[in-house]
Amino acid sequence: MQELRDLAKKLFQEKRVDAILGYEIDRRGGVRPAFATQIEDCDRLVFDHRCVHNLASYVSPRRTHVADLGRLGIVVKACDARAIAGLIRENQIKREDIVLIGMRCGGVVRDPAISEPLDPANVAQRCIGCEQREPTLYDHLVGAPKPAPAGERRRNARLSEIESMSPEERLALWKELLGRCTRCHACRQVCPMCFCERCVADKTRPAWIETSPHMRGNFAWHLTRALHLAGRCVDCGECERACPAQIPLGLLNRKAANIVAARYGYTVTDDPAKPAPIGAYRLDDEQEFIA
Amino acid sequence: MNKRRMLNEKNLDAFVQDLINAGTRVISPIRRKEQGRETATYAAVQNPEEILLAGPQPALPLKDVVFPPTETLFNWKQVKSSIRIKENPEGFKKTVVIGARPCDAAAMEIVDRVMGWDYRDELWFGRRQATTVLAVACSQCDDACFCTAVGLSPTNARGADCFLTPGEGGFEVETLTSKGEELLESHHGRFTQAKDPAKTQPAELENKVRANLSLQPEKIQQWLERHFDDPLWKQLALRCHGCGACAFICPTCHCFDIVDEPEGIDCGRRRRNWDACQPALFTMHGSGHNPRKDQTARFRQRIMHKFNIYPARFGEILCTGCGRCVRVCAAGMDLVSILGEISYMAEEAGSTS
Amino acid sequence: MNLYQPHLVRIEEMIDETSDTRTLRLAFENPEIAQKFDFKAGQFGEYSVFGAGECTFCIASSPTRKGYIEASFKVVGKVTRAMRRLNVGDTMGFRGPYGNHFPLEEMKGKNIVFIAGGIGLAPVRCVIWNTLDLRDQFKDVTIIYGARSVADLVYKRELEEWAERSDVRLHSCVDPGGETPDWKGEVCFVPMLVEKVVPAPQDAFAVVCGPPIVIMLTLPLLEKMGFAPERIYTTLENRMKCGLGKCGRCNIGSVYVCKDGPVFTSAQLKMLPPEY
Repeated sequence: MQELRDLAKKLFQEKRVDAILGYEIDRRGGVRPAFATQIEDCDRLVFDHRCVHNLASYVSPRRTHVADLGRLGIVVKACDARAIAGLIRENQIKREDIVLIGMRCGGVVRDPAISEPLDPANVAQRCIGCEQREPTLYDHLVGAPKPAPAGERRRNARLSEIESMSPEERLALWKELLGRCTRCHACRQVCPMCFCERCVADKTRPAWIETSPHMRGNFAWHLTRALHLAGRCVDCGECERACPAQIPLGLLNRKAANIVAARYGYTVTDDPAKPAPIGAYRLDDEQEFIA
Repeated sequence: MNKRRMLNEKNLDAFVQDLINAGTRVISPIRRKEQGRETATYAAVQNPEEILLAGPQPALPLKDVVFPPTETLFNWKQVKSSIRIKENPEGFKKTVVIGARPCDAAAMEIVDRVMGWDYRDELWFGRRQATTVLAVACSQCDDACFCTAVGLSPTNARGADCFLTPGEGGFEVETLTSKGEELLESHHGRFTQAKDPAKTQPAELENKVRANLSLQPEKIQQWLERHFDDPLWKQLALRCHGCGACAFICPTCHCFDIVDEPEGIDCGRRRRNWDACQPALFTMHGSGHNPRKDQTARFRQRIMHKFNIYPARFGEILCTGCGRCVRVCAAGMDLVSILGEISYMAEEAGSTS
Repeated sequence: MNLYQPHLVRIEEMIDETSDTRTLRLAFENPEIAQKFDFKAGQFGEYSVFGAGECTFCIASSPTRKGYIEASFKVVGKVTRAMRRLNVGDTMGFRGPYGNHFPLEEMKGKNIVFIAGGIGLAPVRCVIWNTLDLRDQFKDVTIIYGARSVADLVYKRELEEWAERSDVRLHSCVDPGGETPDWKGEVCFVPMLVEKVVPAPQDAFAVVCGPPIVIMLTLPLLEKMGFAPERIYTTLENRMKCGLGKCGRCNIGSVYVCKDGPVFTSAQLKMLPPEY
């Protein structure tokens, strides 16, 4: 922790950043995003297993009120760095415009308010099986090495369970889950890869996706979003965490990601130079659905 | 008024079953397991045993009972060279809420003000009239609750037709409105006379909530009115994603959108949907001009509406301190600490003027 | 019936004011409503195109003229584009009248100065005709109006009518470069014309409407020339949905454009936070 704070102060002293985006302890004893805009703020910065949030959400240029701060330094875990890489790859930010403070990570809990130590019962699902203990995209690397987190791959089991359901059972399940949605669009707002100035759901001429929270509109919204994120979603889980109706949205995104991996041999990476399926093609791409 | 009856657990189940048998929709907190955690949610009850009257606050408010996330304002159909408008035949289902938390019961009454402001919203009031609210005193609170800071409490009966206080083997039921009295009278066999004098509730829970936040709402309102341009807004709004989860989950937030949905070449319906001041589109003009062009402005609007604009207009704070916004916020905005900060600044401003 | 259900109105007449601005004359289909409908100058309504949605316009015709209401619009978004596709005989919806109004009663016996730019003449035109239809109840009437070019002037026939009247002083202008060889009016921007020809402020009210730049320059100019801020009126617009104070969308600080407005004085505008 001290290592992180010292580095943050150094970045301010050397005028390499105008603000640092990291984590701090909140009133309730959990952790929340922190903006350090001057050197004194750096003593508030923390990093531990409660640092769940994907801070890359704040970096997209549509957040003018954050962009106004100037040059950002940002604390990133490996999964967050994948989002930064995605933003660079898709020309939303330039690599040289951001300072990345990479953190060695041993997994996070699923809820930043959980103050108990990390254990298999409270670990975030996306951390199970994660092979990156630290990002490869960084300017500085901080923290002691940590072991991979232990836990059960409940979500993979759930995905397999759903895949083995009949179409009728699946429809009934998704009707129940997506029926809860009130179209607050929190999932979109917190997602680092949902940076469109004008989202397809906000377009009115024509209204491709009905904005009403009925079954038709909700299905259209969530399936479209999953499609738009296919090959781009970094599995940070922020959408699920933000959803006031607690819909397990990650299942849709994981399904899409699995399909992309199977067809195009691609999984999200924090290497911005690696081309992604959206925005690149190979002559030998499978296209039996066209022919 | 204020008649007191006793209702034991067995009769509560029977009372609920009576209502269900009569075709009344009964809404209560029921148990729900979400990602391995025990939570509660308000839901239509099929079986009295599902009801959870003591337990965690239901994750979502009662708002959708009187104000659904989407509702049809009317249907239209092209008929020769004109249009025929038809009212939606759905009507308002007779509903009894058993186990509303005080923060949720009070919320509906607070929103009545704007829904009745000069023009009477028949849809809102139609559902309000069809709904009888039996609130129950809270038995739990956490560090997000702050009902006492906005003039309510874990045992406040505002907005309730009847109020249930846990007692031995059941509940004491106090009637507060003629609607409540009518309901209980029509099921009088399930209730017995209250013999002992009303028990005063232990203050322990209320003290816990008070410890979270104390406010002087008038001072907050004044500070807000005079500090539209304060640098505090930018600082507070930095971590806000503008996701609107706080507004959608809030029992008093009632902003809405109106959209047309064609359902064929010549017919369709006009709907009213929940909306929030947090996304940019809320105030976007057709020309592209947006009076609230960044999250700082939009976040400020939320606080202003709840703690300045609504109180100035209707004499009510548009907040019941339920704490759901604090719990749901993915960015840890924490309205309790925000109000605390504004309170501090209001004190400072007050002492220097 | 609930308060969000519109009355049905039929398009009786359609006038293309300019290449992009059109006026619709609408008549209530229900004869009872047609007879009873009344409003005050400055109020607005929510006009429906069924299938596209609603949009907000001031009622551009005068309340002294019964049997119809008018709206003038430009295509800006989904609903206005759908409105443009309608024909005479088609049915629209109308909810209203909503909002506050110009204080015609207070203005009686006084001089009125109407100032407008471009399509901003629409809300002002309502008050102009209201005044002219009761001409002997007002003193001097001055109209100062300009647009980008001759083609962009709206209500051209009415401008001619007003020019011919001896009880109205009309001054019009077009932006430099917008004049045609036979243009007889001034060539300058509206605020400049105001400075040049505005009558004395004593006993006078001003009604101003136009694009933001016209309002921003004209209001302080009028005050500089002695008009009391409480007697300079304008109308504001904001994105609206319900139009009647419930959907929480159109407020500027503590002021709801649909309830406390859309008509505001310059004095009131100064109290508003920069949120419009």
